[in-house]
Amino acid sequence: MKPFVIAIALLVGAHPVFGQPAESQPGAAPSFSPVTWERLLNAADEPHNWLMYSGTLDSQHFSRLDQVHNRNVSELELKWAYQIPQLDRAETVPVVVDGVMFITEAPSNVVAVDAATGRLYWRYNHPLPDDLRICCGRNNRGVAILGETLFMSTLDAKLVAIDARSGNLVWERTVADYRSGYSKTAAPLVVKDEVVTGIAGGEFGIKGFIDSYNAETGELEWRVDTIPGPDHPDNQTWAGDSWRTGGSASWITGAYDPDLDLVYWGTGNPGPDWNGDVRMGDNLYSDSAMAMKHETGGLEWYFQFTPHDVHDWDAIQVPILADLTMDGQERKVMMWANRNAFFYTFDRETGEFLVGEPFAKQSWAEGLDSNGRPIRIPDTFPTPEGTLVAPPVGGGTNWFSPAYSPRTELFYVQAFDGEAIYFKRDEEYVEGDRYTGGGQQYNLPMDKYQSFIRAIDPKTGNLRWEYEIQPRSTAGIMATAGDLVFSGSVDGYFFALDAVSGQELWHMNVGRLVHSAPMSYAVDGKQYITIAAGNVVYTFGLRD
Amino acid sequence: MPIRSLTATVAPVFLAAVYLTTAPAVPHAQETTENPFTTNLDVRMGQRVFRQQCGRCHGRDGAGGELGPDLTNGFQNASTDAGLFSIVREGLPNTQMIGINRSATDQSVWMVVSYLNSLNDTADVDLPGDAAAGMQIFNGKGNCTNCHMVSGEGGRRGPELTRVGNRRDPDELLSALMTPDEDVAPRWWTVRVTREDGSIIEGLRMNEDTFTLRLMDEQEDLWSFSKGRIRSYERIETSIMPSVDGVLTAGEVDDLVAYLFSLRREES
Repeated sequence: MKPFVIAIALLVGAHPVFGQPAESQPGAAPSFSPVTWERLLNAADEPHNWLMYSGTLDSQHFSRLDQVHNRNVSELELKWAYQIPQLDRAETVPVVVDGVMFITEAPSNVVAVDAATGRLYWRYNHPLPDDLRICCGRNNRGVAILGETLFMSTLDAKLVAIDARSGNLVWERTVADYRSGYSKTAAPLVVKDEVVTGIAGGEFGIKGFIDSYNAETGELEWRVDTIPGPDHPDNQTWAGDSWRTGGSASWITGAYDPDLDLVYWGTGNPGPDWNGDVRMGDNLYSDSAMAMKHETGGLEWYFQFTPHDVHDWDAIQVPILADLTMDGQERKVMMWANRNAFFYTFDRETGEFLVGEPFAKQSWAEGLDSNGRPIRIPDTFPTPEGTLVAPPVGGGTNWFSPAYSPRTELFYVQAFDGEAIYFKRDEEYVEGDRYTGGGQQYNLPMDKYQSFIRAIDPKTGNLRWEYEIQPRSTAGIMATAGDLVFSGSVDGYFFALDAVSGQELWHMNVGRLVHSAPMSYAVDGKQYITIAAGNVVYTFGLRD
Repeated sequence: MPIRSLTATVAPVFLAAVYLTTAPAVPHAQETTENPFTTNLDVRMGQRVFRQQCGRCHGRDGAGGELGPDLTNGFQNASTDAGLFSIVREGLPNTQMIGINRSATDQSVWMVVSYLNSLNDTADVDLPGDAAAGMQIFNGKGNCTNCHMVSGEGGRRGPELTRVGNRRDPDELLSALMTPDEDVAPRWWTVRVTREDGSIIEGLRMNEDTFTLRLMDEQEDLWSFSKGRIRSYERIETSIMPSVDGVLTAGEVDDLVAYLFSLRREES
């Protein structure tokens, strides 16, 4: 059995990758050392750390640790739990640097804990006003780090820089006015000596953008508008003045290719979400993948997944980058399972559409044309009376991280096979108020629908295997070099599958909604796997 | 008779009866957005209510406790008096912050709001020192930036002082400068760890529990120890900060106090 042999081979060579001597004991060396850009570029070479939201700049959400593998995963046991003092569901993916873990909490706080025990070093509480505009919970998904400074988004639309050793505030920048409906929830992405970060608020008629800030001073280096202004021809894809309130937020973390110097970032729904009558046209660059030259902030290419979206199918997914051989040709690709229920593979240098296949139940498009543009089925737009369409608003998948394993060359995504009745209504824009123009309603009890972890071959878009989750899941996924796939479910299971076959190998009832993605790291030669569930961060490891 | 004064002394059954009979008459709804109870007496009364009802989580003086955050350094979830009133009255959904005892009157809630504001008082006080000169001393002769950070500049081996004027009044600042060993928060104690090989690591006690402890050493490195895997450790409950007494002149100390007190949160 081939995977077995590979796993053994990697296991034998596993010790050096921990980067610490095998006899290392707690307290033998200080924790934490500054995270240079070189370290971030080569994050894959220090798999005992998890240095950014998606693990590495290519956002594969793949851990190169293999101490826990598909033959010993059943020996996983709970090592520690960290209880977040707010009851809000956690969406955080912790960052780990040399034995120190940084966990963000609702509403906009961060703690540093010892990664081996879960015990606190320090806490930073961000003061917030009491008139926030929040669409979907008091969420925060994580920090970025450069040098000795953490960068975090806050619900009042600020970017804060926090000293990683002490939790002291280093600087604070207002990114946008929260009173107009802007907020910030996603982990930023460090690129060179800058911090790239997006904005949330797509349900409040904001006008989206993607920013890059100087990491040391907090000064804005560039801003890319996700809705071009009237001096740009693409502005014509918005009827009248609708571009001014067109949403197109950017509320999840992107990816970066250092060879191409391209930053990849997804954009959200056009606003109002469900009534497109007031914004006729394709509504560029909503629901798009945007590729920007980091040096200049110039837009190199874009791809719009859902032109003139009226179902709230944000392209707010983490882009995954990999190099694949397709039809005998080396390709630098970007993989993307979209909320609209289609999976895509692109050439990430040019934006050329290579593959596009549905990966979840959908009833809105006959398929994609040769350029990847959807061929819509008539009468699938929302109406005042309601229109039944698959997928529902939550999408075939959503913002939670997918994963890619370079060992199996499979793309792993949380897929939801569901449908809903979409409604539209007239709505006036009022600054700072919700601006959605409709809504959805499930036509059957939620338990009639279900989720699957689906393993997709990115060269063809074909399904390799699927793992059924009852009732469903809104959790992210991590793949590992131990040929494992970790994820969770809404009813509080955390589980591990075989990455090659999809067979279930281990599960644990963690008691409450898993709504974030797992991550892995090692301290003193021991691999740990961490997941936030409910408002608790759980860390597992092999039996001592 | 105010219900508040009964709560500490009467039997639960009697309390329940009082609540049932008086509840309809007690105005729970917030009828105004401006605090009508802001005199010094209101602040003192608010302090009394706070200590009875809020101190268990937020600390007797509002500086934070096991469960509740520090309330002397701005508020995380409220930016207006009305917002504070609402949180004190109703609590914060999805958090451990529950509202005040339901039998508390609106008046006493407003008094708590006044007390909370007094903890974050930014009123100008006439001080003998000169803040600009104090800043020079802070950044120069006083060597304060070796250990203290203001707006991201400075060391990490003392409390962050960007908003210290919000949480300490001039008398407290003076006393902290002159007699730093008098009232040392546990976060700033020192621990000296003797490892199994006999080597010693010493640093500021960032956090300690039954089984583990974490510290920051002189090089600002972070360490975590399992108590079962060290030979011994010693706790030193004095401050690493030297007194300015005899180092700075009385005038320089006044300047330094004026500068520290000027470090306050900017009101938006």
